[in-house]
Amino acid sequence: MMNSEFDRRDFLKVLGWGGTAVALTGCGNGMVESGKETVVSYVETKDYMIPSVSVYFNSTCAQCDAGCSITGRIREGRVLKLEGNPESAINRGKTCGLGQAGVQNHYNPDRVRAPLLRTGNTGEAITWEKAYALIDEKLKGVSGNEVAFLTGGMSGHTKVLMGNYMDSLGSKNHFVYEAIGPAVVRAANKKSYGVEMPRFNIGKARVVLSFGADFLGAWVSPVNFSQQYAQFRKGSGGHQRGVLIQVESKMTITGANADRWLAVRPGTEGILALGIINALGAHGVSIPGDIAAAVKTYDKDRVSNDTGVSAEQIDKIAAILKERTPSLVLAGSAAEGYAHGSQNAAAINLLNHVLGNVGKTIEAAAIVPFPQMAPLTGNTAALKALNDGLAAGKYKVLFSYGSNPVFTSPAAMKYKDNMAKADFKVVFAQYLDETALQADLVLPLDSALEDWGTQVPEYMAGNAQINIRQPLMEKLHADTRGMGDILLTLIKQRRAAEYKPFDDYYGYLRAAVLQNKAALGGANQPDNDIFWNETLSKGIIKFEGAKHASLSVKSGAAGLTLPAPSAADAEYPLQLIPHVNANLRDGRNTNQPWLQESPDPLTTIVWDSWIEIHPKKAAELGIVEGDIVEVTSKSGSLKVQAYIFPGIHPDAVSIPLGRGHEAMGRYAKGYGVNPFQILDMIYDKETGELALHETRVKISRTGNRVIVVKDEGPVGGNQEGQKIVPEMLTNKVNLSKEI
Amino acid sequence: MSITTLFENYSEFRHRHPDGDVPHNPYKWAMAIDLDACSGCNACAVACYAENNLPVVGREKFANGQVMHWMRIERYWDHDGSEFPERGARYLPMLCQQCEAAPCETVCPVGATNHTPDGLNSQIYNRCIGSRYCSSNCPYKVRYFNWWDYPSTDNVWPAEMNMQLNPDVTVRGKGVMEKCTFCIQRIRGAESDAKTQGRLVRDDGELQTACQQACPTSAISFGNLVDPESRVHKQWMAQQVELNKHEQAKDEEPGGSDLRGYRVYEWLAPYPSIMYLERVRETEI
Amino acid sequence: MKDIREDIAWAKINTDVLKSLENPRKLYWVILFIAVAVFGVGVGCEVYQYNMGLGVGNFDNPHMWGLYIATFIFWIGMSHSGTLLSAILHIMHADWRKPIYRFAEAMTTFSLMTAGLFVAVHLGRIWQIYFALPYPNMRQVWPNFQSPLLWDAMAIFTYLSSSILFLYVGMIPDLAICRDNMHSGWRKKLYAVLSLGWEGTDRQWRNFRMTYLTIACFLIPLAVSVHSIVSTDFAASQQPGWHITSFPPYFVAGALYSGCAAIITLFIILRYVFKFEEYMTKSILKKVARLTFAIAMVWTYLKWVEFAQAWFGHNAHDQHLLIEKATGTYAPFWWMMNFCASVVPFMLVFKRFQTNIPVLFAVSLLLNLGMWLERFMIVAPTFADGFYPWTWDHNQWPSLVQWGIVFGSFGWFAILFMLFCKIFPSVSMYEVKEMVYHRSLETKKLQALQAAGELAAAGKGAH
Repeated sequence: MMNSEFDRRDFLKVLGWGGTAVALTGCGNGMVESGKETVVSYVETKDYMIPSVSVYFNSTCAQCDAGCSITGRIREGRVLKLEGNPESAINRGKTCGLGQAGVQNHYNPDRVRAPLLRTGNTGEAITWEKAYALIDEKLKGVSGNEVAFLTGGMSGHTKVLMGNYMDSLGSKNHFVYEAIGPAVVRAANKKSYGVEMPRFNIGKARVVLSFGADFLGAWVSPVNFSQQYAQFRKGSGGHQRGVLIQVESKMTITGANADRWLAVRPGTEGILALGIINALGAHGVSIPGDIAAAVKTYDKDRVSNDTGVSAEQIDKIAAILKERTPSLVLAGSAAEGYAHGSQNAAAINLLNHVLGNVGKTIEAAAIVPFPQMAPLTGNTAALKALNDGLAAGKYKVLFSYGSNPVFTSPAAMKYKDNMAKADFKVVFAQYLDETALQADLVLPLDSALEDWGTQVPEYMAGNAQINIRQPLMEKLHADTRGMGDILLTLIKQRRAAEYKPFDDYYGYLRAAVLQNKAALGGANQPDNDIFWNETLSKGIIKFEGAKHASLSVKSGAAGLTLPAPSAADAEYPLQLIPHVNANLRDGRNTNQPWLQESPDPLTTIVWDSWIEIHPKKAAELGIVEGDIVEVTSKSGSLKVQAYIFPGIHPDAVSIPLGRGHEAMGRYAKGYGVNPFQILDMIYDKETGELALHETRVKISRTGNRVIVVKDEGPVGGNQEGQKIVPEMLTNKVNLSKEI
Repeated sequence: MSITTLFENYSEFRHRHPDGDVPHNPYKWAMAIDLDACSGCNACAVACYAENNLPVVGREKFANGQVMHWMRIERYWDHDGSEFPERGARYLPMLCQQCEAAPCETVCPVGATNHTPDGLNSQIYNRCIGSRYCSSNCPYKVRYFNWWDYPSTDNVWPAEMNMQLNPDVTVRGKGVMEKCTFCIQRIRGAESDAKTQGRLVRDDGELQTACQQACPTSAISFGNLVDPESRVHKQWMAQQVELNKHEQAKDEEPGGSDLRGYRVYEWLAPYPSIMYLERVRETEI
Repeated sequence: MKDIREDIAWAKINTDVLKSLENPRKLYWVILFIAVAVFGVGVGCEVYQYNMGLGVGNFDNPHMWGLYIATFIFWIGMSHSGTLLSAILHIMHADWRKPIYRFAEAMTTFSLMTAGLFVAVHLGRIWQIYFALPYPNMRQVWPNFQSPLLWDAMAIFTYLSSSILFLYVGMIPDLAICRDNMHSGWRKKLYAVLSLGWEGTDRQWRNFRMTYLTIACFLIPLAVSVHSIVSTDFAASQQPGWHITSFPPYFVAGALYSGCAAIITLFIILRYVFKFEEYMTKSILKKVARLTFAIAMVWTYLKWVEFAQAWFGHNAHDQHLLIEKATGTYAPFWWMMNFCASVVPFMLVFKRFQTNIPVLFAVSLLLNLGMWLERFMIVAPTFADGFYPWTWDHNQWPSLVQWGIVFGSFGWFAILFMLFCKIFPSVSMYEVKEMVYHRSLETKKLQALQAAGELAAAGKGAH
């Protein structure tokens, strides 16, 4: 029953299969009888719902963007617990703590429950009809160039609708913003490997040399990497246990698990990488001519001097990298967060080329054959562009979704003030967070556990897959809407004809999936209902043998210039490292109390922020644990409790991100400080990304002291000579005997 | 009631470690935790909160040491005087060790903490009078007391949040002791399913504890120690750790054993049911 | 200096003692009111704790036990004085105990009743306390007979009932005197009932003596066992600082010690309030002081045994704990405990202090402070520095709620004791009469001997 009002090409675009190389079968949309197959599954009890017996539904975790598949346990219509879905190549049945807390995002008492329209300083609850009408009205007479839409990373059908909506507005101002995404590394990877996000085969590597990539904590796809890590530690292919070397200025959880953790002088990661290439050459590894020339001056004495890593250690690293292949070198957030972050990442990626890892432990990831659905990754340059536009008064209507820029942008950026310059600001939000408080209209969103959607993960671990998100229970609040539904309604305001067949986002999704049934693995299933139900029950659409992107194996050292380590700064002597905590990330999950109470893996601190100071530096400054110190950068200052922490370079201090909310909810507001606020606006020279690690600060005691709330006891993780956590060395243990 | 039961041999009512006791049949639940795989990420602890209705106590009560995490991740440093912890940290997930001769069991005045025939150290909330003697005598301090009435405390389970509570697990009120149960609700479910099907619980993921199921590095294995096919049994055998010994023969070997299996405070002879596998560090780097 | 004048008339004894039962002075009511107020504080704290949960006491993991258990042991310890004075000294025929044993026995009973409160107050679910008793029930759910806490509950109940019985039986002849001297009122009826028709016949006296002696003999092992059992709460556990074999005698010695010190305190108060100088003489006080010193030394010795056991036991945990007690957060209390309980008693060596009432009063209070601290030092540090270093916790202190309940317990004890003193004779009249009689016989014997000696000497001279 294809609607004849628009042609097939457009139709593909509407449903998200645009640009596809896969043949599509005949149309199968329009089968939805309105109202009958919408979200509800528990209004009338089905045969699978027996009181006191749990049922399980598959969906996709939305706590971060990694795209882990989850299985929700549902009893009496309530989702109780999330487990990993073993069928997903990404998380293979596992979850992280953040994922576990997804239910607390869903059941959160501080969710917005109705559309709120600003009247003065308060929000007045209005109906959705009124809200939509208001948007329609505000968009009248506004040209596409005057509308800006800020979102977080997007993929799947929401992204499709989003793109089509922007088209319908005639606007190109879709800003995709991720506060802590690996944007510089993506760009560097694109240059070095030809793809932004290759597949990292940690499990197959015998040595992993990670420059600040917190792959067990918060980096890219930690649940997948954690499983690979376990495999890597056990050793594979008859090899001994893998060796992990972590180079970073502030110890992450990955660093805490390393065989050798090296405290590098902040910003000199690239120099060390070149130094290691140089040392590899000295150890007899053949280095391509141009690279050899580029690293010629990076002899180990100079590098040791610059980075603070001993020459002996550089030799050892080179030796082990040469001896044990394949290896894997990772450039992570600690390396990319500088004004020369791109150069750092490029230098580090060069190591993989020299070691011949590209194609072995760095492989091209499978790609979903529908470019229109491919993930749209965000960066901070987008926010800067938006902010500049707002400052210049270019935008009259601003939509904001999936990010909280008022909280996550440096105060010096004045985003909050600039946002006020737009006439009408619509924020789609689950909580009244800092950005939502600035809105004229707040539209409440469904939680990820009651919403429909599809997602294409950026990091594709195995075969290509599209993740299905489906409601695990009935809506908790009557007046929240899914982003897909909202976009569909908004787009209907402008292109009613094209989207008329779809009553709601569910209908749209179902139509989309059925329309492309053959490509989605349903070629042999004639019954649409069965296919649709099977797809939902699996929660994942897999593409066996999907195409892989191609890697560029050759890479030169052209254009690689690394600045000398920054000279001592008398006024602001310390480098501020804003640390990304695996649970709290950029602060969007802070209102989930399990995460607030889950101790930081390194310091065991809960419910608060802290600044990590090396014992040597602390002694120099006369600071002891619990001292409230004032941290001042060029752009601002904050007061925070001190924690004396050995795993940090003495020239650096670190404050975790994610806390310090002034709004959002009872579990987030008023706990800790927000280091985003004091970041200097320094950008990566190549990509224009905000250099998160580039801020320099000074710290001073305020004279106040508190007791640090943490799980660790007074002896600070000392075993007091007891055999509580003994350790064995690899020359003694024989892991091959193990089960 | 018969007065004669009062004079019966009391130890008959008790299950202890297998010496001369009724052997564990058909189940003895035990764990093995590989510290070389454990990354200290806390996923297990959060999963435990989700599964077992653990209250979030909030900042002030946490500061007071009244946190209720049945599973806690401990982070140890080497304390060798070097400038940086270049060997990383050491993580230890510490939970109730389900001791076979549990120090907590003998001292409870009302028998609220007991040994079950399948080798669990169970806690009966209804029976507990809150003398806290069990925790006093626990060498690992893994028992957590309800100092407050969490169900009626603000912001512990406010409206909607309470809908997440697991109906298979009691929500504990004030004044009772609680601790890790090895997810007894899952164990009993699996045991009962197996029984109705006339078989034993299989070692194929049919029964997993919440921490084990979440663990991203699969560091935790859990299963039936008396089932020769179970992974836990094989691990304990391979590591030559015997449940009912407080000194293992392998530790007597000259130069020490090259096997990683050990139990915390084995020498105190509580016969813990959790075997840890030592963390390993590379010598070449 | 004599323990008692031999020429006190029996009638005077009756009058003097019965005077203490007369209508109280205004001050009595004031003090009673204060005691009630103090108890009220405790009750208020307990009600609060009952409603909120034990968290209001500032307990945590690992500080599972706090002041309640420490004060529980303290009161149990106090209770041993009565048994010591009545029972032990009774069968040892130390007749100087006679004027003072009655109030000591009362103290025993009341401190046990106070101690019992702490068992209840300590529990997380006080409303389920009966679970700890072996009461008959359909499901045959018994308490755990392996648990020292259960032994505790049983020992305390037994000891309490025996002590009440002992106190009561020993009072029967005096109750009869009261009955006979009273002409009307509710007390007359009370005494009439309680004195069980005592007429002072020979047969009654014989039976009475036998009963009293039997209960005394029964009570002595019981007293020893009670505090031994309390010590097993600790000694039978596995924890460093508790797992010590010398704990039972150590606890018994400590109990006797604090009991003696408390006797001195109450002795001085009663002597002053009821003007019992004739009966509670300085000579007896001196004896009690000397006894206290002797027990203090026994206790000190046993404490050193404890230290030696920790130190030379080659157990790192015990050694660590001992060092931590002497140098850690608890060090001020630990040193104060040592000073008060082991150094202060040396004051009692000096003869002039043995009869110096203000000094003795101060010393007795200090000794009991020391003994209370000792109990606190047994309980708290083991929690702060147990086996497991991760959960060591040096910064958790009892809240005002805990202190309030401890404070209130003194009010409760004072109320009971004050009511007792006004309802029952706090000095044993019949035994004092016996004592006076025996002493006068001895004096007469002595005089006769002297006279004979003089006669002989004179005779010799004459010869």
